[in-house]
Amino acid sequence: MTIRADGSRPASVVEAVALPVLTGLAVFALWQFGTSSFGVSEVLLPPPTAIAARFRDLLPTLLVHTGATAGEIALASGVALGGGAILAGLLTLSPGLYGALMPTIVLFQIIPKIALAPLFVFWLGIGSPSRLVFAIFLSFFPVLVSTAAGLQLAGSEAVRLCRSLGATRWQILRDVRIPSAAEHFFSGAKVTVTLAVIGVIASEFISAKQGLGYFILLASSRADTSAVFAALTMLCIIGLGFYLCVLAAERAVLRALYG
Amino acid sequence: MRSDPVQPERLAGTGPVQPEAGAVAPAMSGAYISVREVSKVYGRGRDRVEAVHRASFDVPKGQFVAILGPSGCGKSTLLMMCAGLEHVSSGRIAIGPRTVDGPSRDIGIMFQDPTLLPWKTALQNVLFPIHIMGLRKAEHAERAGDLLRLVGLAGFEDKKPHQLSGGMRQRVAICRALISDPDILLMDEPFSALDAISRDEMNVLLLDIWQRYSKTGLFVTHSIREAVLLADRVLVMRRRPAAVVEDIMIPFERPRRPELGDTREFVELCAMLRRHIESQT
Repeated sequence: MTIRADGSRPASVVEAVALPVLTGLAVFALWQFGTSSFGVSEVLLPPPTAIAARFRDLLPTLLVHTGATAGEIALASGVALGGGAILAGLLTLSPGLYGALMPTIVLFQIIPKIALAPLFVFWLGIGSPSRLVFAIFLSFFPVLVSTAAGLQLAGSEAVRLCRSLGATRWQILRDVRIPSAAEHFFSGAKVTVTLAVIGVIASEFISAKQGLGYFILLASSRADTSAVFAALTMLCIIGLGFYLCVLAAERAVLRALYG
Repeated sequence: MRSDPVQPERLAGTGPVQPEAGAVAPAMSGAYISVREVSKVYGRGRDRVEAVHRASFDVPKGQFVAILGPSGCGKSTLLMMCAGLEHVSSGRIAIGPRTVDGPSRDIGIMFQDPTLLPWKTALQNVLFPIHIMGLRKAEHAERAGDLLRLVGLAGFEDKKPHQLSGGMRQRVAICRALISDPDILLMDEPFSALDAISRDEMNVLLLDIWQRYSKTGLFVTHSIREAVLLADRVLVMRRRPAAVVEDIMIPFERPRRPELGDTREFVELCAMLRRHIESQT
């Protein structure tokens, strides 16, 4: 599954699959025996088997909440990815715009943006729009910056070739910069999608009537720790799903370009 | 400008070039490329560097001129100014009646690096200028295929650059420079990154292409042998100040074969040029 930075695949299947799987199993085993042999209360930390059982029982409820959360994550990441990439393109086309906006955008990153979540409820209400806008706001930066870097980095020789052919700035963007920024876009996209998950869950903590964030908050207020862990398991599955979607898109695009 | 149809049945490959019956020497009629007192200055004050110092020369239509000099003598800068990719600091460069003030479609360029787009196939790379110029690709696809066959890349049309060797990539770059049938070919040390054998092959190929499509050419190189083998005329440049110091006609008849490089006249001319260059430094 993993492809290394230099494009090579890991040396063997053992290294790629067996090693991480074994490590994971070891952690779960330690967890299971630790909680049971030291008599840890299930309210504090339920053992993995209890979480699995609870996950199975709660699955219908969890799926309803998952639908709401996943839908908002999908929408937020879609807008963040599209908007970030388009903004990166505009900034590349216009050096003036780049100079005017980029320092401000970078400066904005210094603010711990998660702290602004309550403000978005204040501005946009407790509905879906506030959660979406906050998640987009939280997540668009990585894809914007890495796409902008990729567009700017496009081979200066290829750009010179285009200039010698009398290419317009738009043609250079379309035919040289965008294809060569594909890898950069996807490395930013992986971070953006992860942040969109965080953005939606954080907003659901503050204002929601459904969704996994809402479910977790409700369960912890009842000290129902195993339900919290069941929801966390579902969140991991969603997060992994979105990440794998980006990975699959990346592989498809790079194969189409360089295959 | 005459537009020769490519004759695909004759492969250039690596073999010696056969003289063509009825081949005529290119017409030489006055200045076509005119370089007048051209200087190029980078930076100001203490950082001021004069990359080219008052270069002047004329190139008649159909002539192949090699610009020979050590690295850092400003020969590439001079070529890029002719291509309209660098501004002149003073002086004037004209092509025909037109002063060069930007890139022109009459010019095909080969860079030191083949500069192929890695996501395009060989054929798509050859057609890239057509794509940028907004011309009909269908009309040029056949010519692109013919050019690729001419340079010995039949069957490699759909390969991407990473599937080609360095020499093959530079062959694709030649085809790309020729696809729009420009009057002028500007070449900036196009073969300097190749190994010696590929470089010899490319020289043979370029001789053949020259015979076939009488273009006007400026060829920057730091190889004396390459300059003498390929060019009708060699301009020698030196460093500090970066200026054209010699202008030597190469008397060998065309079509030329690579075996020319083994003759006494050729070796003596190279030795003479080397002495010229050494006396300048």
